Amino acid sequence: MSELTTIERIGLYGGGALLLLGTVGMGLIEILLGAPHPVSGEGQIVHETLFSLSLRSYTILLGLILMATYGIANLATKPPKDTSI
Amino acid sequence: MTEQIHTQLLGRDVSLNVSGPWLAYWLVIMRLAVGWWLLHAGLDKFAGWPFDASWFIGGAAAGTSLGPFVTLFSDGILLSFTNVMVPLGQTLIGLGLIVGALTRLAAFFGAFLMTFFYFINGETGGWAHGVITGDLLGLLIFAMIATLGAGRVLGVDAYLVKTSFVKDHPRLRYFIG
Repeated sequence: MSELTTIERIGLYGGGALLLLGTVGMGLIEILLGAPHPVSGEGQIVHETLFSLSLRSYTILLGLILMATYGIANLATKPPKDTSI
Repeated sequence: MTEQIHTQLLGRDVSLNVSGPWLAYWLVIMRLAVGWWLLHAGLDKFAGWPFDASWFIGGAAAGTSLGPFVTLFSDGILLSFTNVMVPLGQTLIGLGLIVGALTRLAAFFGAFLMTFFYFINGETGGWAHGVITGDLLGLLIFAMIATLGAGRVLGVDAYLVKTSFVKDHPRLRYFIG
């Protein structure tokens, strides 16, 4: 983790940041400024949210894809350092 | 029995103490519980064979962010492939986790599978209970099992990792615990 290249930083930190932005970040802003309950008391879905649900989906999806890309690229390009066990 | 970990995160030095026995204990509990979750899901589909995923990948998935990709598998030979691979994959992932064999590979495919469940179930339900769902938590647990290499604790991977084949092909370490 301490010797990351720029591309690896984008995959790990960028992916993690997007995952957290789509879940925690947008969720917190929604609670404070938007519609904390997109579902009515009767269980009907009310889409009056600051961030469209598809925007949150794509943000989280992009984060997961970046992290998975890092993992697969790491596997393809580097042998593991610790082979002693 | 406490292990000291020194590393760097976001350019800062990070040190933490981890209790070895607690970590080993928890890795096994997590692997068995999550493994049974998937093994049961797979065996259940075989028990009720034939399994037909078309309602999910053809119906529910359409209109979701994964729809353009997933609906390609909704008919013909690709649907037949999916109808076999979902229960077979779930069974193998579950078995892999329970016996701790090829644990990282199993966890990777578990996370891969959960990505589809997370977005398709979540979006078709309008994220009615928020964007953190059981499917996302499942995905994160698979990622954690892969990160920690949980298969070496009372698992087959503890044996596999010592074989000369794995020592000669160190890249295989990415697939085992």
